[in-house]
Amino acid sequence: MRRFLLKLLYLILPLVALSYPLDYLISNALKEDHGMHGEYEVWNAIYENKIDGDIAIYGSSRAWVQINPEILETYLGKKTYNFGVDGHNFRIQYLRHLEYIKHNKKPRHIIVSVDAFTLQKREDLYNQEQFLPYMLWNKNMAVYTSGYKGFSKADYYIPFIRYAGRTATIKKANTYLLHPEDTSENFRQKGFRSFDLQWDASVDSLLASEKKYRIKFHPDTRTLLERFIQECQNDGITVTFVYAPEYIAGQQYVENREEAMEIYREIAQKYSLVFLDYSQNELSFKKEFFYNASHLNKEGAHLFTQQLAQDLKKVTF
Amino acid sequence: MLFNSLDFAIFLPIVFALYWCIPQKNNKAQNVLIVIASYLFYGWWDWRFLSLILLSTLVDYYVGYTLSRKQKKSHKKLLLWLSISINLGILGFFKYYNFFLDNFISAFSLVGQEFTASSLKVILPVGISFYTFQTLSYTIDIYRGKLQPAKDMIGFAAFVCFFPQLVAGPIERATHLLPQFYRKRTFVYTKAVDGVKQILWGLFKKVVIADNCAEYANYIFTNSEELSGSTLVIGAVLFTFQIYGDFSGYSDIAIGTARFFGFDLKQNFSFPYFSRCIAEFWRRWHISLSTWFRDYVYIPLGGSRGNVWQQVRNTFIIFIISGFWHGANWTFIVWGMLNALYFLPLLLAKKNRNHIEIVAKGKLVPSVNDIFKMISTFSLTMLAWIFFRAENIAHAWQYLTTIFSSSLFQYPEVIPKQELLLIICFLIIEWVGREGTYAIQIIGTKHKKGLRYTLYYGIALAILWFRGSEQQFIYFQF
Repeated sequence: MRRFLLKLLYLILPLVALSYPLDYLISNALKEDHGMHGEYEVWNAIYENKIDGDIAIYGSSRAWVQINPEILETYLGKKTYNFGVDGHNFRIQYLRHLEYIKHNKKPRHIIVSVDAFTLQKREDLYNQEQFLPYMLWNKNMAVYTSGYKGFSKADYYIPFIRYAGRTATIKKANTYLLHPEDTSENFRQKGFRSFDLQWDASVDSLLASEKKYRIKFHPDTRTLLERFIQECQNDGITVTFVYAPEYIAGQQYVENREEAMEIYREIAQKYSLVFLDYSQNELSFKKEFFYNASHLNKEGAHLFTQQLAQDLKKVTF
Repeated sequence: MLFNSLDFAIFLPIVFALYWCIPQKNNKAQNVLIVIASYLFYGWWDWRFLSLILLSTLVDYYVGYTLSRKQKKSHKKLLLWLSISINLGILGFFKYYNFFLDNFISAFSLVGQEFTASSLKVILPVGISFYTFQTLSYTIDIYRGKLQPAKDMIGFAAFVCFFPQLVAGPIERATHLLPQFYRKRTFVYTKAVDGVKQILWGLFKKVVIADNCAEYANYIFTNSEELSGSTLVIGAVLFTFQIYGDFSGYSDIAIGTARFFGFDLKQNFSFPYFSRCIAEFWRRWHISLSTWFRDYVYIPLGGSRGNVWQQVRNTFIIFIISGFWHGANWTFIVWGMLNALYFLPLLLAKKNRNHIEIVAKGKLVPSVNDIFKMISTFSLTMLAWIFFRAENIAHAWQYLTTIFSSSLFQYPEVIPKQELLLIICFLIIEWVGREGTYAIQIIGTKHKKGLRYTLYYGIALAILWFRGSEQQFIYFQF
């Protein structure tokens, strides 16, 4: 038995010994990447304790492409950072919030950009690569990213296992390891990036081909949103709900959109939050300010953030 | 609990340590530990279905015990049918209830009778087909006088729920496995080392071959309507290796794990894709199930004896039942029938006992004739797997008609180079090691230490480097 266990140990030990340094090298190199719409940049800012903001903006892509922190800073005189996370519902937005307040000074004000999909829970862990460099032995990541089709338990606890089989990711990390000087510019600025794109015929035809969609509200996500509000209120953080402009013709494709709006109104009332709804705002009726039905383009984002700043000044600050 | 999960990686060393801490002469205490560990292993997935295992255990223990005491044949027969009815009744309800209901309704609607009945949301308990057949073999063998009943309840319960092979086999015969629970188990170094090697190879098959092939096979089968015939051929090849890597990989891990505890399980796969005819393929594929059907269904029906009509009937029965065992879907039945059609000419020409030995035994390369036979058998098997993998008959038919269309000569839309390269490496290792019970068994003993360890580390690194995205074991659903 002893001989067997020793042999097994000899077989496993070199692999175990190698796994942590390899993990460390790959994770650090990956953090240099600006792909995936700059998601690593936001995570890096969080884990490097770089954010000293008064206002934090949460949401999906409708937050990070539409709400410009610099404009808010100019109008409100408060440091602002946009934490919008691409393609994710509130569960992952909450994970970002937890990690942000754990590693940085807490903000005074949080703007939650809600939309029709905030209270859903997608099945896949979209852009799951963004979690790779930060997830080893990270309890919050294990709790909030494990309910998806994505990672297995071992990925959170055993070094290097989560990189196993991800040859493209390892290759990407390798390029940063071999050429550390080759650092391109950040994709987002303070978590924000607008797109100088125009609505064209292809968007029209895409919209025409859209099928009607029914939101499946996820009860746990709603509970999480309410818990988040309570936690913020206990910490003296003001929460404001914002529903950013959404192109009017696109709104009809979500069958139970009004149900979502009603939930937000209900929660806002329950916790005495300000809810700024721009879905019927004049911007929502002008195609020229959008590059698709749910995202404002650069000009639209600029105009909207200006208006938001003015409204926030009136009602909150 | 999955074999390739962190839970199992923690569970196994704990059970292993506890098991060998128990004094070796006390095999009853070891059996108790096996039962507790196995129930935990199974309950990890869904503890509610432990009650089915428990019921099956109690019924068959009682029937086995009583059978051995009854003298009258009619009483014995009654007891046997009691066990068969309860076991197959449970299996039938959980696995086939909705299938029969849906087909019953469809059949009535064909003759203009509308009949409404709602399907039940029945969850299929993992491994039910495997342990049901295992316990049935116990009762039948006692009835036939081939086996003495279990000496005690604990040993029998351990035989039914032994965790390495509980959820996906190999389906063990009571005559082979049950006596091992009553023997003194000693830790044998060479057995344990062999177990580690077999687990390593099983993991490679599952994680590298099956899981990587699955990603492309799933994509190609899901989008088969939009892809060319040439791509669909690639999809079928990938599924052919996925199912082999998945199932035989699981069997290897199960056999290797059992060795840690001093048990020998039966070989379940023996390089089936090197078969030179379908009969040989069925002697090398899922051996524990094929031999189960042979001994408990085919031979009692008359086997290959009798006139031509009886032989044809028996062959179809055995393959259709085998298909149906896999799942409640017509696709599995057609898969079984297709294999019967492949098998029948060999049976009628009395060539079904050819190719008993492994191909090109003692040689490095096969003859041209053998290569041709292996490729033909592989192609036939691959075509049958299309039915096995398809969602329904219409899907399988669409898949096949696209393959046999002019688009077969188009440049494929999808060429998974890495996966195809991995398959080639895998086939080379399998070919070199085909005279062992698993591919690296002989390689691991014949060569010098340096070469052996290079091979082991090579496989371990390949598992880390090429690990595919985690997929459920296919045979769990059966």
